[in-house]
Amino acid sequence: MILQLFKKKKEFTLQRTYRAPIATVWEAWTQADLLRQWWGPKNTFVPECRIEPHVGGEVYVVMEAGEGMGKYAGTRWPMAGTFTRVDPVSRLTYDARSWTDGQEATTTIEHTNDITLQERDGQTTLTLDVTISSIGDKAKMAAFGMKFGYKAQLDKLAERLAGQSG
Amino acid sequence: MVTSMQAAVFVALGEPSRLRIVDLLRAGPLPVGAIAEALGIRQPQVSKHLRVLGDSGIVSSQAQARQRIYQLEAAPFEDIGQWVASFERLWDDRLDSLGDFLNSITHEKKDDGP
Repeated sequence: MILQLFKKKKEFTLQRTYRAPIATVWEAWTQADLLRQWWGPKNTFVPECRIEPHVGGEVYVVMEAGEGMGKYAGTRWPMAGTFTRVDPVSRLTYDARSWTDGQEATTTIEHTNDITLQERDGQTTLTLDVTISSIGDKAKMAAFGMKFGYKAQLDKLAERLAGQSG
Repeated sequence: MVTSMQAAVFVALGEPSRLRIVDLLRAGPLPVGAIAEALGIRQPQVSKHLRVLGDSGIVSSQAQARQRIYQLEAAPFEDIGQWVASFERLWDDRLDSLGDFLNSITHEKKDDGP
């Protein structure tokens, strides 16, 4: 199947050092009323936010484009996940799906976010490791620079291929 | 938008044997003989397919000892990397935004302080 070309995992790591105590940074990640104040980059806001910071607990955050985003205004990008590791106040891990509302089937990115906090001299270093395990079909198709119509063609091709090798 | 190069990629992959070659090369570079053997296709046929894959930039080759080794090229698959990059950029912005937020609340605390 052609789409398996993209089954490879993708990873990236980001790091920041903040002038804030570790407990404050932890709270910013684990309290919904605080998280919603910074989660959305410029011109976005967070209309929905639920966080249950314990293993098996839910993390659900919706980012919505505001007026400043022009034609994207009103577009919602939810992230829904489950905590797999919660070590206050140093480590937070969750598995999640992120997608564009209304296009869930084609835009979903499945990822694991692993947040590590370390305090030193009153400053807190945050390390975010993101591992992407799956990307929606739309992105996969875009990877071949194809318009959507090609998908059926490719599926047919994959079927034929499966028939031949089987 | 479908550029001519991307259209060539599509045409190149639109042939079952070539798709099987690409699939095989995902595991690592191989000489033409090994590809022919693995897929049960005659070597001249494989060479022909490899030429088409080479012309569209999907596969490149290197001379090694007395044979040519064929491998997958990253470029045609780079758009997927751009998708990942935009996700990375979102998180990058988000962490900056967290920094601004932390600054704003620590300032507030200072203002409220003695």
